[in-house]
Amino acid sequence: MSKKIYDVAIIGAGVVGTAIARELSKHNISIAVLDAHSDVGDGTSKANTAILHTGFDMVPGSLESKLVARGYHLLRDYARETGIAIEELGALLVAWSQEEHDNLAKLQAKAVENGYKDSVIISAADVYAREPHLGPGALGALYVPGEWIIDPWTPIVAFATQAKLNGADILLGTAVIGVTIGAHNTLHTTNGDVEAHHVINAAGLYSDEIDGVFGVKDFTVIPRRGELMVFDKLSRTLISHIILPVPSSMGKGVLVSPTVFGNIMLGPTAQNLEDKTDSGSSEDGMKFLREKGSKIAPELLDEEITAIYAGLRASTEHSDFQIRLHENKYITVGGIRSTGLTASMAIAEHVKELLVNSGLSLGAERALPAITMPNLGEAFTRPYQDEKAIADKSGYGEIICHCERATRQEVLDALESPLPPTTLGGLGRRTRAGLGRCQGFYCHSELRKLLEKK
Amino acid sequence: MKTSQVDVLVIGGGPAGLAAAIELKKSGVNTVRVLERERVAGGVPRHSFHPGYGLRDFKQFLSGPKYAKKYVDGALSAGVVVSTLSTATHFGEKNSVQVTSPAGLETISARAIILATGARERARAARAVPGKRPAGIYTTGSLQQATYLEDLAIGSRAVIVGAEHVSFSAVMTLKHAGVKTVAMLTEKKKHETVGIVRFALGLWYRFKLMTKTEIVEVLGDKRVTGVRIRRSGVESVIACDTIVFTGNWIPDNELVRRGGFAIDSTYKSPVVSADAQIPGTSIYAIGNLVLPIKAADKCAVDARAIAKKVAASLR
Repeated sequence: MSKKIYDVAIIGAGVVGTAIARELSKHNISIAVLDAHSDVGDGTSKANTAILHTGFDMVPGSLESKLVARGYHLLRDYARETGIAIEELGALLVAWSQEEHDNLAKLQAKAVENGYKDSVIISAADVYAREPHLGPGALGALYVPGEWIIDPWTPIVAFATQAKLNGADILLGTAVIGVTIGAHNTLHTTNGDVEAHHVINAAGLYSDEIDGVFGVKDFTVIPRRGELMVFDKLSRTLISHIILPVPSSMGKGVLVSPTVFGNIMLGPTAQNLEDKTDSGSSEDGMKFLREKGSKIAPELLDEEITAIYAGLRASTEHSDFQIRLHENKYITVGGIRSTGLTASMAIAEHVKELLVNSGLSLGAERALPAITMPNLGEAFTRPYQDEKAIADKSGYGEIICHCERATRQEVLDALESPLPPTTLGGLGRRTRAGLGRCQGFYCHSELRKLLEKK
Repeated sequence: MKTSQVDVLVIGGGPAGLAAAIELKKSGVNTVRVLERERVAGGVPRHSFHPGYGLRDFKQFLSGPKYAKKYVDGALSAGVVVSTLSTATHFGEKNSVQVTSPAGLETISARAIILATGARERARAARAVPGKRPAGIYTTGSLQQATYLEDLAIGSRAVIVGAEHVSFSAVMTLKHAGVKTVAMLTEKKKHETVGIVRFALGLWYRFKLMTKTEIVEVLGDKRVTGVRIRRSGVESVIACDTIVFTGNWIPDNELVRRGGFAIDSTYKSPVVSADAQIPGTSIYAIGNLVLPIKAADKCAVDARAIAKKVAASLR
């Protein structure tokens, strides 16, 4: 029996890989998505800062600028269509020094170059009117109304679910360790060989290593650690915009941002590392965040901390996205940083064009299955607040995670979904269960039982 | 939406809440309802199997689960309505509370509301202890759940962070689970339990109590391999596969804070009068919601006294 040869194999099931899979599954071609992890979105994507970026501060003319601007509209519309939580907060780039204040006009001009025309410079009085809990010393701000916050996890599950429902194979726990290039590409994996005509490298932190396997050397991934503190939901009323730093000679500052889950996030730090698995938080990092945070919003530091974590950005020595068509029908999608979430759907369109250029015949477009994703956002009705939902299924009235008010039925829904979670972490990203202030004290054992029963 | 009316609504079905509810019925209050968000009422003692409960209130030396059951049975036989799987999500208008349960949404109005939502230990994240996130990290509460309720394998060598009364309870639980306590750390100058407890347990279980010592990093990738500690500016590593973060209590104050009531800055408990009343309201706060931490039987005894006053105020 001859083995199946996929039209396209995508290495990496993060936000970029799954967005590409979804885009391609609009066509009648065979697709495999491979990931070393046991779940989608379990690498760099899971630690995204969850901002829907307008791209106002990108390098004008860069590929990133173009794809972020386009991706913003695509993801915004997609989120609205599928029920993914977004909140239209707007960002304030707050100037704390004269140098930063002088830079606001330059930033505004740069925004216009990037095609974003709605930003305005506001006075200190206006800053404090909007954000009364900011620390003293703000001189003014650039207000960017289009910067919003989004649920960073559900888009990945949604992309992968649509691709899967349209026939894509999602091969998890499958790490690529080598390739044989012949009439087509044979990927050697920890789970056997996967054969494909076209291969897309969306391997994030490991994209340079996959390039190496294909004999390509365009960039080196320099993992850049970003440490974050997430504050208790009771802090959410302190801040109502995304508070961004103004770049200056003092280096890059940190942001303070509400999350759609109802917390406030402080971070990230930026530290270049050698080790791609060193995702631990550090004492220095925490100290740095406390110092920065206490200046931006002093009361925030009096609130309880719900979580501390570190994510690794897949940065490279280049400032722009590294998306290239190589020989042997091989495409690299590398150098994707935190803007990758916003840009994901535009990256997918871009990669589709490259595939066509490399000879893939896509045929006509077909509809993707319509899906509605569970709402994880605090700004919208959640099942525990929904009388009709509870009347329909009483499990929506049984709160299983008290901190996040996630219900038993939401957990069951996730476990019975087309792309069920395999770990507590994956379950948390689909339901919020276990991610709250007690960090699973009350619910982890119950969740573990439900997960294992599945 | 369902609406209902009771004389007194008690939020939280641990020892304090149940003791108050029983006393209210005994004092002649007509309708008393307790909301418990878990499947079973009884609170923290339900998963604390070692003896030491009930001296002040039952003049007996009971295990946690037996103690909890006495209160649940007592409440039911006194005619208290105990609603489990019922979460009070926020305060409504005119002394009412919004509740979610599998039966749906309900607004419960009450002449008096008693908050008895308890306290929890600060977990590792809440203490912002850096490092990776390997398996093998507990609070005393989660350790007891895993050990007594689920019989999970814990590990072999544990470091305990904190030296409060509850920390010594963690030592006993670890012993039960077959785990050796290698060290107990506290940033304080001295342990915070009764001298005799520290002396007897220290002797019995032979662990090292290290004061003025802070934990600076959790080590290990998939599983804990140790802790990095600092004492008088000198760092060192203790090898272990289990870390238990004990004590360092924070009240479960979400309802109170969302209700806009004042919180004290030290303990983050609601500010109450000597009669446990939130000033200007008919809302009361009892038990370990009002820190500092107290033993269960002490909470229960205090709760009874408050309940008598609440009952009198309703007459």
